[in-house]
Amino acid sequence: MNNKEKNFVSAVFYLHNDAERVVPFVSELNAQLDAHFDQYELVAVDDNCTDGTVDKLREWAKGLAKPLTILHMSLRQGTEQCMNAGLDCAIGDYVLEFDSVEMQYEAGLIWQAYETAQRGNDIVSVRPSHSSRTSKWFYKIFNKYSRSAYEVSTDAFRLVSRRAINRVHAISDNLPYRKAAYATSGLKMAVLDFEGYAKTENDRFDLAVNSLVLYTDAGYKISLGIAECMMWLALAELLYTLYIYLFGGYPVEGWTTTMFVLTVGFAGVFAILSIIIKYLSLLVDLVFKKQKYMVESIEKIQK
Amino acid sequence: MTYDKIIIGAGLYGLYSALRCGERGEKVLVLERDAAPFMRATYINQARVHMGYHYPRSFSTAIKSAHYFDRFCKDYGFCNLTGFDQVYATSAHFSWTSAAEFKAFCRAANIRCDSVDTDLYFNPGMCDGAFLTQEYTYDAQILKKWFLEQLALCPTVEMRFQAAPTAIRKAGGAWQVEFCGECAEAPFLLNATYAGVNDIHAMLGFEPFKIKYELCEIILCEVNDRLKNTGLTVMDGPFFSIMPFGKTGLHSLTSVTFTPHTTSYDSVATFDCQSRSEGKCCPGSLYNCNECAAKPASAWPYMSQLARKYMLPELEFKYHSSLFSMKPILKASEIDDSRPTVIREYSDAPRFVSVLSGKINTVYDLNEVLDNEQ
Repeated sequence: MNNKEKNFVSAVFYLHNDAERVVPFVSELNAQLDAHFDQYELVAVDDNCTDGTVDKLREWAKGLAKPLTILHMSLRQGTEQCMNAGLDCAIGDYVLEFDSVEMQYEAGLIWQAYETAQRGNDIVSVRPSHSSRTSKWFYKIFNKYSRSAYEVSTDAFRLVSRRAINRVHAISDNLPYRKAAYATSGLKMAVLDFEGYAKTENDRFDLAVNSLVLYTDAGYKISLGIAECMMWLALAELLYTLYIYLFGGYPVEGWTTTMFVLTVGFAGVFAILSIIIKYLSLLVDLVFKKQKYMVESIEKIQK
Repeated sequence: MTYDKIIIGAGLYGLYSALRCGERGEKVLVLERDAAPFMRATYINQARVHMGYHYPRSFSTAIKSAHYFDRFCKDYGFCNLTGFDQVYATSAHFSWTSAAEFKAFCRAANIRCDSVDTDLYFNPGMCDGAFLTQEYTYDAQILKKWFLEQLALCPTVEMRFQAAPTAIRKAGGAWQVEFCGECAEAPFLLNATYAGVNDIHAMLGFEPFKIKYELCEIILCEVNDRLKNTGLTVMDGPFFSIMPFGKTGLHSLTSVTFTPHTTSYDSVATFDCQSRSEGKCCPGSLYNCNECAAKPASAWPYMSQLARKYMLPELEFKYHSSLFSMKPILKASEIDDSRPTVIREYSDAPRFVSVLSGKINTVYDLNEVLDNEQ
């Protein structure tokens, strides 16, 4: 009797010059999947490996019973774009995303993640208990301004359902930052923690800024806040000038006129800026997001 | 016995030739190694009557194909299923063709291509374009019945089943073919064995076709009413197709990556499974894969998974059965010109002609060799 899971699982992993790590990783991964799943596939994304990683993988895959797809990227494109390609290629009901083949956790967590998903979670994020300071800061800002119910943080790998993938694609075709897209998808997300430390991706400053703009209110709120402060400051200055003009004081000749022009001008400029920022944020929303609202589920209460 | 023509293989190309010559009163012998006609590739394929949509990189082939489509529908329309929506879609990712390119190509080839909403059939973001096209599916069993009825009216055509040629040699101006302990001869030998084409060449010492062999699986599915009158083909790359299978009421499911199970690059097909075929199959003599004890486990889990990823959940389909057959594929150098049919003459007197074609409606290409008596 075969009691293995009948759901189809795809495991997508990112490779860039991982010659030393690839074979231990895929062996461990394959053993886990084979133990628990009837049907699964492996998808490797080769981000322009130059150290023979792919040859080692091919050698390992000889005699592999399940399908292995290797996606070769035309030139180095970084984790996000590569994993997007892998995700587009995967056919599973559930997709495991490994941004790195460094396995600093118990392989059993892969199965635990699946069991967690079975309890009604479309996204399961497996996270280390420790991460670097910069990434902590980033996620702090991100989570503060994000409209999502879930917090995003450094994770080791994640499991997403086909439903979640369809959902994020319905919101926007391209996923500049998958993690954030999942967290803001409006579907249920669960977190599994493990004792360990995750390395921070250091090529991701641009990505961090972009995702703050796209997935949170941070950019809009901060710039609008600054523009408003400056406007109030200019208005205060205007009041002060009025006071001096009406109730005496002995400024240098021409000071009041200059100050009137300056303060009224600046207050106007900042007022217009606030409006422009509002427009810009609306534009980003319209261009980037195809759906304005996201529903997790519909519950009807009837007598 | 002496005949005007001996035809090896009772697939569509073999029976078409037999009928064309038989109607002229020529004495024809058809040799078939299976128990009945149309047991292999003529029956076991997508059953697509090609219109030309498959050649987005070759206008000339597409136009020729469209012409043959009309002719086939006129001659054999009775076996076609026509009342369904045949949808071609271009995958949003990993496709060699985009929606715009496909549309431009159809316009140039002057074949139907009406844009429809991808949301009608596919999950969000999976396809960047979907098109209603004109393409039909033929029913091999109905076609077989028709051919057998027509051939019964030709007293000069003789068909022998379970009669694989065991030896062929040249004797003066004729070919002598041995089968089932008998011997027949004719000045014209047509090799219409499809996957067995190089096996016959090997017997005669002719240069083999440059082909590779794929052991292919066509999955037949039961579908719900939403999918009943719809055929879907996602192209152009590692995708899939699910479309009505003739008039059987079932749909065929195939995929570019999972339909071929194993591949042989030898000039005569050589596979591991042959050793498990209870002695019925070996390199140089291919048994019917669909009847074989050593046929592989179905790729249904993978093919269905791939299709489900693309298709809306309300388009339901479930496993009915699998059909297996051997498919020879011309290697790249010969595919460049995009001709789906290759006909070669290897000898003049006596004549020896081999035909290899993966498309049903290009059967008319044979007329030239059949009618041209040298």
